Amino acid sequence: MDKLSRQLRQDAEKIEVRVSDELDHRIAASLRSVTPEAEIVAVPKSQRPALFWWASSLTGIAAAVAVIVIVNTQQAVKPAAPAPTSIVAAVPIIDWETETAMLAGPLQQELDALQSDIKRAERKVRSDIGL
Amino acid sequence: MRTERQRVSAAQAGSADAFGELVRDYRHGLLRFLLTRCASYADAEDALQDTMMSAFRYIRSYDERWRFSTWLYRIAIRNAAKLRVPEVVELGDLRDEESDPLLQCIADSDAENLWINARRLLNDEVFAAMWLRYAEDMSVKDISRALDRSPSWTKVNLLRGRKALDVELNNAVNQGKAYG
Repeated sequence: MDKLSRQLRQDAEKIEVRVSDELDHRIAASLRSVTPEAEIVAVPKSQRPALFWWASSLTGIAAAVAVIVIVNTQQAVKPAAPAPTSIVAAVPIIDWETETAMLAGPLQQELDALQSDIKRAERKVRSDIGL
Repeated sequence: MRTERQRVSAAQAGSADAFGELVRDYRHGLLRFLLTRCASYADAEDALQDTMMSAFRYIRSYDERWRFSTWLYRIAIRNAAKLRVPEVVELGDLRDEESDPLLQCIADSDAENLWINARRLLNDEVFAAMWLRYAEDMSVKDISRALDRSPSWTKVNLLRGRKALDVELNNAVNQGKAYG
């Protein structure tokens, strides 16, 4: 037994109670006035006749057979084949060159500006070191 | 000298005397338990009387697979819950010490009693589980039956209760308080 369990047991025993004679008599008197109630018996579920189970089994089988027959007798409908179409005609023509020019233009300008900045910096460095 | 089984049978047949013999050994423990749950000593006595009456009234529905004490405690817990005054529970340790039946029944001693702190720290159900385990030495299975809870709930909450009281016990030791 660990420390806490021992402590709890000891402390519970320190709670002093006494069932007084008066309480004892009171309980005895009250018990005499009570009559045990009849045990509550669970009501069994109603039994169904065997015929009920046969009838429901047959109904189930009949329904299953009906579904199988209906499914198998139905004609499979072929989906209508779509008319041949030219995919090329349907695809829109993209003006690739225009797009390229539009995208390449600003980049080229940026590249020229960067190259010019590098040349300017190079010149400045050369003049600073006296070359 | 009749066995418990014979007393139960006689009580089920309607003998109040046999029932009185049957519960004689449990009265003291039940009253002590009820005292920790009720607002006054008189309430605890009333709860004990109600428990005995309910137990006798429904003795025929007692299932012998249960321990008789487990069944009695289950009824006692329900009766105590009916008598408990909610405001007193909410106030916890703010209640008047002179009217606290538990404090009145603890022997004159400077030492602390861990059950007073258990009542402050734990909720009613966890307190009951702790009491049944450590004061009444009930098994987890019986406690879960008495509280109408699952064994896993009981195990988890016993562990939580222990943890809370362990902290309290260690704090008390650090502060130089003495338990027991």
